[in-house]
Amino acid sequence: MSKTRLTALAVFLIALTAMVLAACGGGSSSSSESSGGSETSGGSEESKPLTVGSDIPYPPFEQGKPGSYTGFDVELMEAIGEEIGREPEFIDSSFETIFRDVAQGKFEAVMSAATITEEREKVVSFSYPYYLSEQAIVVQEGSSIKGLADLKGKVVAAQQGTTGLELGKEKAEASELRPYPEGPDAINALKAGTVEAVIIDAPVAVNAVEELGGIEVAEKVPTEETYGIAVAPESTELLEQINEGLSKTLANGKYTKVYEKWFHEAPPKGIFTAVEEAEAE
Amino acid sequence: MADPMLRLRGVNKSFGQLEVLKGVDLDVQRGEVVCILGPSGSGKSTLLRCVNLLEPPEEGEIFLEGQDICRGPGSGTGESSWNLDFVRQRVGMVFQQFNLFPHKTALENVTMAPEKVLGKSKREAEASATALLERVGLGDRMTQYPERLSGGQQQRVAIARALAMEPHVMLFDEVTSALDPELVKEVLDTMRELASEGMTMLVVTHEMGFAKEVGDQVVFMDGGVIVEQGDPRQVLDNPQQERTRKFLGLVLDR
Amino acid sequence: MKVFFEQYFDFNVMGEHFWEVFDAFLQNLLIWVVAAVLVLSWGLILAFLRQLPGKKFAPVRFLTIAYIDIFRAIPALIVILLISGGVPFLTFLPKDIRIPHWFGKPDPFWYGVAALLLVFGAYMAEVYRAGIEAVPRGQMEAARSLGMSHAQAMRHIVIPQAVTKVPAPMLNEMISLLKETTLVSFIAFGESVLVSREILAERLNSSALILTAFFFLIIILPMARVVDYLIKRNQLKITRGAHIEVG
Repeated sequence: MSKTRLTALAVFLIALTAMVLAACGGGSSSSSESSGGSETSGGSEESKPLTVGSDIPYPPFEQGKPGSYTGFDVELMEAIGEEIGREPEFIDSSFETIFRDVAQGKFEAVMSAATITEEREKVVSFSYPYYLSEQAIVVQEGSSIKGLADLKGKVVAAQQGTTGLELGKEKAEASELRPYPEGPDAINALKAGTVEAVIIDAPVAVNAVEELGGIEVAEKVPTEETYGIAVAPESTELLEQINEGLSKTLANGKYTKVYEKWFHEAPPKGIFTAVEEAEAE
Repeated sequence: MADPMLRLRGVNKSFGQLEVLKGVDLDVQRGEVVCILGPSGSGKSTLLRCVNLLEPPEEGEIFLEGQDICRGPGSGTGESSWNLDFVRQRVGMVFQQFNLFPHKTALENVTMAPEKVLGKSKREAEASATALLERVGLGDRMTQYPERLSGGQQQRVAIARALAMEPHVMLFDEVTSALDPELVKEVLDTMRELASEGMTMLVVTHEMGFAKEVGDQVVFMDGGVIVEQGDPRQVLDNPQQERTRKFLGLVLDR
Repeated sequence: MKVFFEQYFDFNVMGEHFWEVFDAFLQNLLIWVVAAVLVLSWGLILAFLRQLPGKKFAPVRFLTIAYIDIFRAIPALIVILLISGGVPFLTFLPKDIRIPHWFGKPDPFWYGVAALLLVFGAYMAEVYRAGIEAVPRGQMEAARSLGMSHAQAMRHIVIPQAVTKVPAPMLNEMISLLKETTLVSFIAFGESVLVSREILAERLNSSALILTAFFFLIIILPMARVVDYLIKRNQLKITRGAHIEVG
């Protein structure tokens, strides 16, 4: 009697699992269909979410769990989305392939603390800059490394495919430069003592120092680089909308609010002038 | 009178639920050849394997040259027992399937144990191995691998291999059963010669002729007990027990 | 379709980065060789420990089986991440062991080797065990009856024969091992996949990955053929052996 009941329960649970899985599978396939659809119809269907590719986690720009991502990029995109009437949906994606993916229509836009470079502009179109970037050199507390110049002959880490890695290659003269798949991996290696310094985006560095302790920012290096939102070259209409939305958030104070929340300081004047200049062009 | 070479008292052995030996008593005198007969499953092979502790008995006593080699009831695997070396260096065994080491030449098969166990030098071991292989008629086959030897030749190498340890007792476990009929004789001849030299031998066999000719004593086993034992001619030609008669009838009919 | 070919089969990208990828692939081969030598020995030790006889060695057998089960179950990538992330913090160890820079190779190289050793040692132990179990019981009995200890019988009789029965499955494990060396890219060691992905980030083109795949193919295809040959040869041997025993 109880045995048959148990069997029934087991069968039920298996069936339930199968159904849940089927439902999830169906859900994801339908959402990819919808993103495919919105790609062809541009941004005209306002009810559909705006799919945004991003390499998560990269705090404080993007972090959190699927379905409840947060961070500077995420909240700024939400603010822009309010202006243009489309709610963003963030999709976790590998940074190295992210521009190719957006160009191929895997998602509509990329917002992933991505520096605007000529190389990337060959493949995608960038919005107005939305962030002025600095790189930081992070070291263990009390390290003799005080800045970029001291990296000579040291083991230095950065994230694959990032500006930090490029900076390391060009200016650090490190004995070994290790490209980790994710920023946090590089920070972990620093904590573990297997590398002596990490070159990484400044806000990420500041965040890591606050969270972890035992490490500190040795130097911030201005890079004259700006972050932009990338879209496929043919998505001109969407790009215009995003630019318009970004300008509005800068004008109405929403940008400042989000910036202060994530970086604990007021946004630099430079970002306003940079956007104005871009608008003028 | 001196201790017998081998004395078994109440030897019991089970494999799980299956009782294979149910209290076997047996005395083997020095220089005696004892042939053990019996249907398959009668426990005769197990009896041999008990004597050199490949399958230590669960109950009973085995004295080898007066020395108790079991620790009595429940002596377990015997692995940690001091008397294991004592036994293995006094008791040689030859198997039905030869069990030669296929990756070694005939000569190496024979020199292996003297070198590794007795610590003999390679030269010394090879000298005595050569003599032994010549004695079993394989002086010209020493560098061959077992694969290249006939069954009879392989079995003779196996005998030489066991003799190389200078045993006091030799156990033969159906050593001719896996051989083609024309190869049986050469192996039996070797054993015959060994017997004539005074080796103490326990021989599990189906070769009635050999038992009658060479055996000093014949033991008939069935169902894990000794049913009948005595002079070969008496047991084989005039068995007293019904079970012995029946078995011998079957064997002779074959 | 055109995009696909541009993305993966751009021969200009392959040509320009050929030596870069080739050098990185040599690093895969180096990890492979170092790990393979260690794996072959470690697996043998584990297989030996696993079949020690008697009650006395029961704890050793238990621990060995537990080790083998655990490391066969955990993905190699997780082991790599745990070792590279964990070992440096074991401050009771000397620094040269926590953060090894032996023979001029950086620590991720050694963490990778260590992790692959732990995982593939378990696989190899199983390969050897199958080999040991394929040696007829009579071999051990014959050796024991000649007075050899269990260890002597294993060393001189059983293992030399077991070793001849394992080349095919062993080679299969070695093929897997070579491929799994790419996992060390996750801890930033400059092997071929990592370098290909860097090229991908720089050129926004995946052709270097195809080039890497090609290098693996060149090395592994002949090995796969050898495995087939060994299997065929072994089957012939088995049928011949069976014939002898029946005769």
